[in-house]
Amino acid sequence: MNADKITLDRRSFLKAALLAGGGMMLQFNWPEVMAMDLENNAAEDAVALNSYIKIHLDGRVTLFNPNPEFGQNVKTSLPMILAEELDVDWEQVEVEQADFFPERFERQFTGGSQAIRRAWPILRKAGATARQMLILAAAQQWAVPVAEISTSEGVLHHQKSNRKLRYGEVASAAASIAVPQEVKLKDVADFKIIGSSKRNVEMDNIITGKPLFTSDYKKEGMLIAMIIHPQAFGQEITAITDTAVRQMPGIKDVFVIETLPKDYKKNSFDVMSFEKLAVIVGNSTWEVMQAKKKLVLELHANKGGPRAGLLESTAGHHAEMEQQAKLPGQVKRRDGDPETAFKNASRIIERTYTAPFLVHNTMEPVSCFADVTADAAELYAPIQAPEFITRTLSARLGLPKEKIKINLARMGGGFGLRAYGHHLVEAAVISQKIKAPVKLIYTREDEATYGIYRPTYSATFRAALDENNQLTGFHAKVGGIPESPLHENRFPAGAIDNYLAESWSVGSAITIGAFRAPGSNFIAGAEQSFLDELALEMKKDPIDFRLELLKRAKERPVGDKNDYDADRYAGVIRLLRDKAQLAKKPVGTGRGVAAYYCHNTYAAALVDIGVKNNEPYVRQAIAAMDCGIVVNKDAAVNMAEGAMVDGIGNALYGEQFFIDGIPQKNNFNSYRMIRMNEAPEHLEVYFVDNEENPTGMGEPLFPPMFGAVANALYRQTGKRYYHQPYLKQYLAENKPATGKRA
Amino acid sequence: MKRFSTKNRGRLGHYAQRYRFSITMTILAILLIGIVSAFSNDSTHRVGTAAAIEVKKDSLKSLAAFKTVYAVLQSPRCLNCHPSGDIPLQGDDNRLHAMFPKRGPEGKGMLTMKCANCHQSENTAGLKTPPGSADWHLPPANMKMVFEGRTAHELAKQLIDPKQNGNKDLKALIAHADDGLVKWGWDPGEGRTLPPFTHAEFKEAWITWLTTGAYAPGK
Amino acid sequence: MDTIRINKKEYTVAVDKEMPLLWFLRDHIGLTGTKYGCGVAQCGACVVHLDGEAVRSCVTKMKRVIGKEVVTIEGLSEKGDHPLQLAWKDVDVPQCGYCHAGQIMSAAVLLRERPDPTDEDIDDAMTGNICRCGTYTRIREAIHQASAMQKNGSR
Repeated sequence: MNADKITLDRRSFLKAALLAGGGMMLQFNWPEVMAMDLENNAAEDAVALNSYIKIHLDGRVTLFNPNPEFGQNVKTSLPMILAEELDVDWEQVEVEQADFFPERFERQFTGGSQAIRRAWPILRKAGATARQMLILAAAQQWAVPVAEISTSEGVLHHQKSNRKLRYGEVASAAASIAVPQEVKLKDVADFKIIGSSKRNVEMDNIITGKPLFTSDYKKEGMLIAMIIHPQAFGQEITAITDTAVRQMPGIKDVFVIETLPKDYKKNSFDVMSFEKLAVIVGNSTWEVMQAKKKLVLELHANKGGPRAGLLESTAGHHAEMEQQAKLPGQVKRRDGDPETAFKNASRIIERTYTAPFLVHNTMEPVSCFADVTADAAELYAPIQAPEFITRTLSARLGLPKEKIKINLARMGGGFGLRAYGHHLVEAAVISQKIKAPVKLIYTREDEATYGIYRPTYSATFRAALDENNQLTGFHAKVGGIPESPLHENRFPAGAIDNYLAESWSVGSAITIGAFRAPGSNFIAGAEQSFLDELALEMKKDPIDFRLELLKRAKERPVGDKNDYDADRYAGVIRLLRDKAQLAKKPVGTGRGVAAYYCHNTYAAALVDIGVKNNEPYVRQAIAAMDCGIVVNKDAAVNMAEGAMVDGIGNALYGEQFFIDGIPQKNNFNSYRMIRMNEAPEHLEVYFVDNEENPTGMGEPLFPPMFGAVANALYRQTGKRYYHQPYLKQYLAENKPATGKRA
Repeated sequence: MKRFSTKNRGRLGHYAQRYRFSITMTILAILLIGIVSAFSNDSTHRVGTAAAIEVKKDSLKSLAAFKTVYAVLQSPRCLNCHPSGDIPLQGDDNRLHAMFPKRGPEGKGMLTMKCANCHQSENTAGLKTPPGSADWHLPPANMKMVFEGRTAHELAKQLIDPKQNGNKDLKALIAHADDGLVKWGWDPGEGRTLPPFTHAEFKEAWITWLTTGAYAPGK
Repeated sequence: MDTIRINKKEYTVAVDKEMPLLWFLRDHIGLTGTKYGCGVAQCGACVVHLDGEAVRSCVTKMKRVIGKEVVTIEGLSEKGDHPLQLAWKDVDVPQCGYCHAGQIMSAAVLLRERPDPTDEDIDDAMTGNICRCGTYTRIREAIHQASAMQKNGSR
């Protein structure tokens, strides 16, 4: 993009300009896709407009997309919104992927399932405004009233005189028209592109193996770098022995780097599991990989921070979680008088659920290209949140922010992990030190043992039942190492008179980060398993029980901070129930159901679980979602299917564990991933048909899958599953005919 | 070594000297204990024309030797490729092979998951990487030679049953101890435990067992 | 001189013969369509055809490849129009896209050996390829579709 930087009042939302060579450019501000209070992130009073639509003379339309892409298809879905309001043929729309320029973009973030939700009103308005300006230009040219002009697929039409103009033909004229302050948006009923299915715009490149990812990037004179981090969390490198390494073929340099400036105050995206790293730089990946094996690290285990001097083990974590469940937690919400309800209860049902640390296992291991010179830095990187790491880069490299350019690469998976930019800092520091362009590559093992894991969690739920078997009190004591997943204002809060939610957490040297639907990805499964068991204890149908609670929450909500719309929540459950009645349960399977609300979207899921290869196997899964208007139907279905498969896989197999601070699973040969033969034979996805603004899609279906799988396993085996990964309990209780299987 | 060489016979010398029965007598003895099928044809226990394998029935020796044989065959290095299903096992804990590759008709895997697609002619360096040996495979589909879950009695019977052992005669069975893939068990690559006896101990016990009547332990 | 043919082109191999083919493809001749995912033959992102078999290039050393024929995703078809590529497009299979070169290369061997694969055949052939985004049901559908296209003579 070569448009001049235009400074103007932020409220001036749109600005038109004539394209060099003809045509119109409408600049506008891409939404702040994630609102977050970060220090040093001062709101600028005046900013350059950060995105644009171009209408070219030949009728092509270009949309500039600043959102990073990691498979969630925003690069396709966002332009669809624009094309709809602009009323152009989808085939005429081209998408340009933005690089990251901090002076132009305040926030470029993909995560939290917010991309569509935040972009929705702005893209619609931008598209409708451009369309209106083209109509105004045509009205002037034809000298007819504006109201007599209609548009369709990039063509302006004056019916009375049967005249037509293509957008490109009036684009230059439209560029000089004053930007209208108010425009009419399309009626949802008139949508043609939104709600249809448009193919991934990168499809041809993906299926023919074109370079798309950071790891494919190459620049003349580029060297390859790899890092070696301490084996155990809590350790720090004190020295390295590199004599043997330096003599190996292709090796250029060996050294230790520190990734953060002294006394640097980190923000929440500055997760650095190991701030001191050994680095080997060489000519090729294979040569550096070989050299890595020969490097000897000297380590000490007193890095500082939580548990300085101690190396943690999973067994110890379990003991701590058991202890925490017995201690008073931090009260996050209290409704009514839960203590009395429990004191007077005729029966108390108490269950504890746990889940291990999880590794993201993005298919593309970390890579980052950096070329840092004396006065500028250029990076090419997979990163969900480029802006957050720029501050760190600037401080560490000693370069002003505007001299740091980050090219956004397609990400080989994100799932939360690529919100953290440690690899950008590492690559940049290495490049600065060796004074050459460098591509940093992590091995799978480096990445799986680097941390930024999903935390390990525990939840103890208690329900008080009176002599009539009615629910009178509910108590959640929820925590994790090192972070609690409690969302105290979510369902069933608001549906129960006497409610207590307590939270705890215990620090750890093991680093954590966002993982597809953070916190929710555990608490949903625990809560939905408990509600399922509770319903049966109360002799109720589990679905009816949830609907009863939601009815109560709607009619007489307890408290005023409840973080869900009971009607829409009940709506997805009803939709799922309707679809479930139509879907025959395969012979020999058990059926489980769960629902959850997060990321502004309601999701309900059903799984039918049977047995295959002597292991639990989900044969069929059905989902119902209410995420408002669905923009790109098939892409949304694809993502929902992926979330179901991901949830099933992690529920059954996902686990990282530790002995003396050392992560015990470092590659797919020990970390089991769901595979083709374990993916359901049949998946169905349904959306509630409404006209609500679109909300999150990538995450919300993932959390309830854990509950649906646990509840289905109960129907299938007669046993409740409280501890993830569920396969362990299954194999302990169902001896396989072949293979002992740990 | 693919053949039952004189060197190997030499190792068995002390048995041969102590129990000098004629081959005919041995065959008769084997006939009497009912495991005749393996050795009933005279040609099956001769190597070439010069060196005959002497089989001298001795149930005590035979059963003692089979204890060693059984312990080795039940070790993960041997058992993992002799599973009861069609999916090989892996690791010291005999878990199902990740990605569930199937035996295929020839025991060499099938479709995209042929053994040699990942298993090279040598071990791949590193922990939990694909082990390798020339012609990495499982027993074929029509002759699965299952070790997993077999009692000592069952396995002994099965090993010498030509219908179940790939029509191997005494000579072929003895030679199998020196098969490249069998010997891989004692060079299994990083992080894999060895069988409980050395290859020499195993081979000696194997041959002893076979040449003292191949007795099966009681049920 | 040691040579190999990759995508119908002859290459002279002057590298460490212990190096896996994957790094020759990616670092030495710039064929980056074949991906590094695990390095230990577990994920299938690096699958290429070696004399027609779906080998994992991350553990296949150059010494095994000398004198042989290699096909990578870049050489699977001239115009990106192998039935599998067309079906992949039609079913809109990928999410992040990283694993799909390996998925398609595996599926190509499956279709050659089982022109009309059953679901079980697909399990048997494709379970070695991990898709972290979870597009398995679409991969299955695309393979069936490619099979039908192949049968109907569109290729």
